[in-house]
Amino acid sequence: MKTVVLLSILLVAPRAFAHHSFGAEYDSAKPITLTGVVTRIDWSNPHVYIYLAVKGDDGHLVNWALEGHPPNTLRRTGWTRSALKETDAITVTGWMSKDGSNRMAGREVTLPDGKKLFLGPPAQ
Amino acid sequence: MTMKTAPLFIVAACSLCALAQEKTPSSAKIHRDAAGRPDLSGIWQGIGVSLFGETGEVRPGEGRASTWGPPPGPAPYQPWAAGKVKELASDDRKDPNVQCKMSGTPRITGIPVPFEIAQTAKKTYILYESNHIYRIIPTDGRPHPADLDPTYMGDSVGSWDGDTFVVDVTGFNDKTWLPGAGHFHSEDLHVVERYSLQPNDTILYEATMEDPKVFTKPWQYRLILRHPPRDERIMEAECQENNQDLEHIVPGK
Repeated sequence: MKTVVLLSILLVAPRAFAHHSFGAEYDSAKPITLTGVVTRIDWSNPHVYIYLAVKGDDGHLVNWALEGHPPNTLRRTGWTRSALKETDAITVTGWMSKDGSNRMAGREVTLPDGKKLFLGPPAQ
Repeated sequence: MTMKTAPLFIVAACSLCALAQEKTPSSAKIHRDAAGRPDLSGIWQGIGVSLFGETGEVRPGEGRASTWGPPPGPAPYQPWAAGKVKELASDDRKDPNVQCKMSGTPRITGIPVPFEIAQTAKKTYILYESNHIYRIIPTDGRPHPADLDPTYMGDSVGSWDGDTFVVDVTGFNDKTWLPGAGHFHSEDLHVVERYSLQPNDTILYEATMEDPKVFTKPWQYRLILRHPPRDERIMEAECQENNQDLEHIVPGK
């Protein structure tokens, strides 16, 4: 098994944020899935941010920021700038931030039509 | 790496060497320019999700290895410098890339977005998508200027060693990192890059870094450069417009 793991590490090209290491900002031990309504999209560098209004247990809306790859990488992996718009209801998986703020590293977004797109790298 | 896993690492690394060799049959020919030199012109990328995709798509006959040759081992920092590397590596806010500075040479080659090489008769240009950095590399035999001001990317001059394009880079500032977390360097950094075009239209890239102020010996960085599978154009990618990470990074990871 060790051999398989080691070879996998060596042969698989790195998948990471180009701008910073995953572990500097996000906690791989804290996966999270959120469903909410898109309130804003920053199609910006060095990261795209999607802001999501999520209804909490008490019924109040909480705004979350989802960090993803930069626009060029997303365009090359299947996104377009119009793939998502404000008021769209989406579900996103990812990992929570380490600083306790309502931020997460987005991994996969399920769009309103059910299509799934990768937003960022896997936890590392 | 434990003693138990070290042999496995060597075996795996040798497999990668074999992989690189396997892709270079002697009967195949490489594309050449009008002067008969290997033509490196085109769009290239070393690593990154947009090169391989999330599902690991590769072109027929190619593996997914991103490096070649023997493993370079850890960066050979002098003991005092190794302590500083550890300190810097524990806080991503100190990473020049996170601060949106230019990535320096050779770290720029491994940034996971494409770059374009434009080879002309007397100069070769490298146009990086990351931060829209460019390098102009004269190949007419001129030496480095005598009194260089330190810069992020250094001053480059190119020459040919047989079919290998060799770029000598000096005149660096000390504000960039080498590949690897916390890998700082001094203004005495000297880099020699070697670009070797292969018959399967990949480039074996090797950068040898010397810095007598922080290293005990030279250190190598190697990448296999490939053409991205699609979207063959360099796009704009500035870094500072929405850099929220500096205020949210938690040091001491």
